[in-house]
Amino acid sequence: MKTPTVNTPTADPAAPNAVVPTGEAASAPAEDASWEELVSAALVGADRRSVPAVRLLEDAAVQVTRARAGRRPHAGRLPGPAAEETRPLASRAAGDRLARMLGGEQARLVPEWLETAATAGVRVPAHLIPGLLDLGARDRSIRPHLGPLAGARGRWLAELNPAWAYVLEEAVLPRAEGETPEAGETWEFGTRGDRRAYFAALRAAAPLRARELLEEGWAKETPEDRAAFVGLLGDGLSMEDEPFLEAALDDRRREVRQAAADLLTRLPESRLAGRMTERAARFLTRNGGKLVAEPPKACDSTMERDGVRPGPPAGMAKRGWWLQQVLARTPLSFWPAHFGLSPEEVIGLKIGDWAREVWMGWTRAVILQRDAAWARVLFEAEPLTDLLSVLPPEEQSARAALLVAREPMDGKMIMTLGGVARPWGTHLARAVLKTIVETSGMRPWDAGELIRLAGERLDPALHAHVERLGVTELAATLRFRHDMLKELS
Amino acid sequence: MLALAPDAASQKAAAGAGAPAKWSGTGALPDVVWGECKGSGATPYRACVDLSEPAYKCSCPSRKFPCKHVLGLLLLWATGEVPDGGEPAGWADEWLRQRRERAEKQEEAKATREPRSPNGPADGPGDGPAAGSATSAQRETRVTAGLSELERWLADQIAHGIAGTQQTGLADWAELGRRLVDAQASGVAGAVARLPRLLREEHWPGMLLGEYALIHLLAVAHRRTAELPDPLRDTVRSRVGFPVSRESVLASPRLRDTWDVIGSRDEEQDRLVARRVWLQGRATGRAALVLSFAPIGQVLDASLVTGMTVDAELAFYPGSSPLRALVAETHGTSARTAAAHRACRPPGMRLTRVPALIAGVLAGDPWTDSWPVVIGGVVPARDALLDEEGNGLPLHPEGGVPWRLLAVSGGHPVTVAAEWTPRGLRPLTVWDEEDQAVRL
Repeated sequence: MKTPTVNTPTADPAAPNAVVPTGEAASAPAEDASWEELVSAALVGADRRSVPAVRLLEDAAVQVTRARAGRRPHAGRLPGPAAEETRPLASRAAGDRLARMLGGEQARLVPEWLETAATAGVRVPAHLIPGLLDLGARDRSIRPHLGPLAGARGRWLAELNPAWAYVLEEAVLPRAEGETPEAGETWEFGTRGDRRAYFAALRAAAPLRARELLEEGWAKETPEDRAAFVGLLGDGLSMEDEPFLEAALDDRRREVRQAAADLLTRLPESRLAGRMTERAARFLTRNGGKLVAEPPKACDSTMERDGVRPGPPAGMAKRGWWLQQVLARTPLSFWPAHFGLSPEEVIGLKIGDWAREVWMGWTRAVILQRDAAWARVLFEAEPLTDLLSVLPPEEQSARAALLVAREPMDGKMIMTLGGVARPWGTHLARAVLKTIVETSGMRPWDAGELIRLAGERLDPALHAHVERLGVTELAATLRFRHDMLKELS
Repeated sequence: MLALAPDAASQKAAAGAGAPAKWSGTGALPDVVWGECKGSGATPYRACVDLSEPAYKCSCPSRKFPCKHVLGLLLLWATGEVPDGGEPAGWADEWLRQRRERAEKQEEAKATREPRSPNGPADGPGDGPAAGSATSAQRETRVTAGLSELERWLADQIAHGIAGTQQTGLADWAELGRRLVDAQASGVAGAVARLPRLLREEHWPGMLLGEYALIHLLAVAHRRTAELPDPLRDTVRSRVGFPVSRESVLASPRLRDTWDVIGSRDEEQDRLVARRVWLQGRATGRAALVLSFAPIGQVLDASLVTGMTVDAELAFYPGSSPLRALVAETHGTSARTAAAHRACRPPGMRLTRVPALIAGVLAGDPWTDSWPVVIGGVVPARDALLDEEGNGLPLHPEGGVPWRLLAVSGGHPVTVAAEWTPRGLRPLTVWDEEDQAVRL
């Protein structure tokens, strides 16, 4: 309680002595003693102030009750109202389910709920927004969904709570296929998230116009925005973008330079690709049936300009780190032509020293350049999860199914499967269910993690089938998802 | 670490006081840190922290608690600037010894205390039906003796000053509480047991004086029960701790209405969970509180769920501002159905009418420290509920920012059920855009 104040003497019905005779001193209440005086006398002792202690207590009782009963509304400042929502509310059932999930039931499925609901074009019940924004503060991966799902209310709250300010950066409207939003206002005055969404949509519809728009105001963009917009040029990338990206290699901000270099790597005709090819041909040569790696002795300024980072991660030799980066930025199509061999034959060549760095360079190149042909070749030799991400979803499933059929189900395999997008195809589903049925009988503790992963990734329509197999935990998760998706459709 | 700071200014000051150059004679053992900080005066301030609680002591005159020196010392310790080991300085050692002794005494006191009804008014789970007249006469004598001793004790405190309460209060109150329990004045013992949390507050002297005054008022009122009108006498006796049997309550006249369940809260106290459910009558506008108890871990009564409406007869415990009631008989519930859609948001009063309502309640029972209100057309802000004209009633400061409430309203007027307390409102429930009850 703030120091009680007697606001107004009109609060008479409340005065306690109207009802309770307050004892000996009631006949002469010391109305003039202020509350502060009473407190100060009580602190040092009524004796010292020559006031009877009982009288002080009675005065205090009158004052404290009068203050409580006489408290009047104060003049406060009304918060401004949140803007109108543009999306419909998720169904009651869907909202209730999300509330239960945020409370801990099947919490691993929250990201799928959010992703599905964001795509379905609904928003979440307002009372769940604070919990979701807290979740997004810890987990970046769900933030893009929170922009549209929390809607105008989410932004209104984010203005009040700095911990949630990130949501102001997210787009409210998810990008719809082939839709070009109204230009002008959004691009000029929109939030960071809305501008990015607008730019991405424009890029998808009219790549050239998007880049020209970006070039017009380039000098005024913040470094973060510059990096983000360069990244968005990946959609619809062509040699038309090359001069702009080549110029961006001289940007002041490292993230911008990196993003530009990453994109140029995907253009085999680019000047950067040419420079990298020239370097790679020097650092990796063929000697009969062997490859000889001779990593650079220094990272010169031209290499650095092309996106090679001079400082290696902890535990890595500098020269190997430079070699790996040069190979990652060299167009993969270069090698078969250069050596006159197929990709299979290239990776079949024996490598002496620096073999690990060469392979890491190629793997990184597959991901940067999204080269599906090389991804398949490398995955056959070493099934790394990251390689799968380059392949179409059905093929991810098919390749993973083959792997499950022939390799033991261990931690490494589960990690690989973790890279296979939802929903798993028929072949993979069948292979994984077979493994689960086999292992859950003999080694139930091993099956646990696989069951959890399968619960998130299998097609939920399989729930009845899985139930018949007797894997009840998995069946329950799939039925949960089945109902969840039905509520959101 | 800085979360311990009483406010932002203290956090900032602590950062300054955390400069290693200001400190000397620092040391740390596993559960205590101490050191001397050079302040503006000639003698350095001596700060010491008992990490087991944590509890703090500093020789500076600051009224902030913990002060910037203590916070600075903790910052210093957290960044590894305080050397481990060493003997606590004499002054630090003395303080720690006193603290530990007090803590032990308190533990003993706690162990001997019996579980109380958490609501102060009697009829906790331990109270059976009224006992035989011989025992009840004995109880009257005991309570009277206990309360006159309490009156003397309070007068003595005020006569000699309460300035030292932060040092001696905990031990004194533990002892006082034990004697009140022995005297079977469990309601007053409960009021005494709630005193220690006042010491954490910046304005504790005023708050403590207020509580002492109301306890004194209760003791005096009990001494003079013969002069009081019946309902007020019932209130006084119930606040003191005399039990009222369920049978007698159920035998009293009942009030039938359509009751909205406007909020509920579970509180853990001693070894029990107390569930408070607040109701409001559609026709009568009457407020009611239904209490139930269960040992921790056992299932509580779940027949009244926030947001539902129940046609029932309630029997109120006697008193001059009756609130607590028993559900004597139910005639049917209407849970949220499509038909009852609109019916589920209870009617709310205007915010400007709340003070008069509370004044009336306090006029009947000045010891009331909780009363449910349903307010319509309010716009919640970070620390207050406002009506559309900007008249505001403050929220309880310990509740923090009511984010869920803010989220539901979004700056638009809503209907809110809240618990009035002397320090401010505690929001219980809000009805959302679809008139669904959202518990806060």
